[in-house]
Amino acid sequence: MAVIEVRQLTKRFGAVTAVDRLSFQVAAGTVTGFLGPNGAGKTTTLRMLLGLVRPASGQAIIRGQRYADLADRRKVGAVLEASGLHPGRTVRDHLRVRCAAAGIARPRIDAVLEATGLGGLAGRRAGSLSLGERQRLGLAAALLGDPEVLILDEPGNGLDPAGVAWLRGLLRGLAGEGRTVLVSSHLLAEVAQTSSQVIVIDRGRLIFSGPVSQLTAATGQAVVVRTPRAAELSAALAASGAAVRELAGDRLEITGAGTEQVATLAAARGLPVFEISEQAASLEDAFLTLTATQGRPG
Amino acid sequence: MNRQLHAEFLKLRTTRTAIGLAGLAVAVTALIATLESATAGTRQAMAIPSLATSAGLRDALASTGFALIAAAVLGTMITSGEFRHKTATGTYLDQPGRGRVLAAKAIAAAVAGALLGLAAAATATAIGLGFAAARGYPLTLPAATIARYGAGATIGAGLLAAAGAGAGSLIRHQAAVIIAVFAWAFAVELIVGGTATAVAPYLPYTAAAMMAGVTSGGGMPPIPSAVIPLAPPGGAGVLAGAAVLLAAVAAATTVRRDIT
Repeated sequence: MAVIEVRQLTKRFGAVTAVDRLSFQVAAGTVTGFLGPNGAGKTTTLRMLLGLVRPASGQAIIRGQRYADLADRRKVGAVLEASGLHPGRTVRDHLRVRCAAAGIARPRIDAVLEATGLGGLAGRRAGSLSLGERQRLGLAAALLGDPEVLILDEPGNGLDPAGVAWLRGLLRGLAGEGRTVLVSSHLLAEVAQTSSQVIVIDRGRLIFSGPVSQLTAATGQAVVVRTPRAAELSAALAASGAAVRELAGDRLEITGAGTEQVATLAAARGLPVFEISEQAASLEDAFLTLTATQGRPG
Repeated sequence: MNRQLHAEFLKLRTTRTAIGLAGLAVAVTALIATLESATAGTRQAMAIPSLATSAGLRDALASTGFALIAAAVLGTMITSGEFRHKTATGTYLDQPGRGRVLAAKAIAAAVAGALLGLAAAATATAIGLGFAAARGYPLTLPAATIARYGAGATIGAGLLAAAGAGAGSLIRHQAAVIIAVFAWAFAVELIVGGTATAVAPYLPYTAAAMMAGVTSGGGMPPIPSAVIPLAPPGGAGVLAGAAVLLAAVAAATTVRRDIT
């Protein structure tokens, strides 16, 4: 069952179409990565989902309703920007304000401070927090209502390696509890480690939606071969229609031909092969391939 | 609505903005009241009449002009601060009804502004009456009049703060809206009030100042002597109307904008 549903969503800022007839679904109990290059329309999409930005057309709904119409919005937590804090307000007071506005019991404050590792910073003013600490505070605020659905926009921004590892654990834990998480990120490796599903957009349009494994499979696998006569094998492979890229150490990376084809061709030409292996595309490779296919440079 | 109101009061209590601005307003009021009382009845430039006269005592007790402007500034900061610190996102996530948020902010601003006005009025009254008593002057103003000036400063500051909340929603840039408040009080009302005295009582700052008994106001925009004050309910009505008008215009325009 889809918890989050985006249907033909479009948003224009003047002459710029930020989101262009975007449609996707997020299933219950999954961690879904929301990927795209800078300016792809991820933040605008998430803000439309949360009623902060008005779409030109289309719908973005949570549990079948617009965010503003949800009977209990406390069950949807969101982190949209780490800078949304009054610098003079303490960490605890920031959470007190959010509790008061959302009608959440104050004992939750200690629970989320503990969960986000901010227990020792409760009395600190937000203006003195590091970017990573601000991100944690944003997550703490999002968790106040013990939400069933979490919408996170680049929550890893500003986190140090330990913080990134902590975030990974937190997301896994939330998914393990059956919560639905939609997390946008440009940290592709992080998404690969925490998400079961990915949605990729570029220039406001959907490029891919499905399991992470399908994303990497969709963009193909490469064969890496090591031979002391790399130039000859490269020419032969190119002549057979495969794409060849020369790597360091007499190695070639071939796409468009499998290991059997490469080995057979090398044997037929009498070319020695010291090593041959299949290399699955990484999520990053897949992402770059997908966005490049859509015509975006670099 | 109650939740949002509670949150808005909590926001005011958990930063130093409101208390700092109130402290500044009281300090400036105390300074003006002290200078005016100390020089009252002398031949120094801009000195008010003697505290032994009703006009002199009124001027000393009504040294609340700066506090009225400070209340309007406080109102602007309550709304524009959400955009300065980018806290509007969280506010509208918790309460997507933007009209409700604006209403709650206007009410919170009115209460905070009224407290600021009350503190300033109490300060000016204490200083003015203290100087008069120290000099052995009889009380030349009825107690009811003194109370009316205090109530006028309190209600006037509260309603100006509510109007400021509307202005801060309309002009979201904090520095710009604060400059606009001062420009309005020191330039627009001064020019319009000076040239069209019949219109002056209907201008927000002038209406609030006259409710508080302010005439010269010790450095604040002077009220031309030809201006006839409205009765207190009329003055309050003008201010409430200004607050509602600003909020309505903001609600129909800027408040509906995307939060990006």
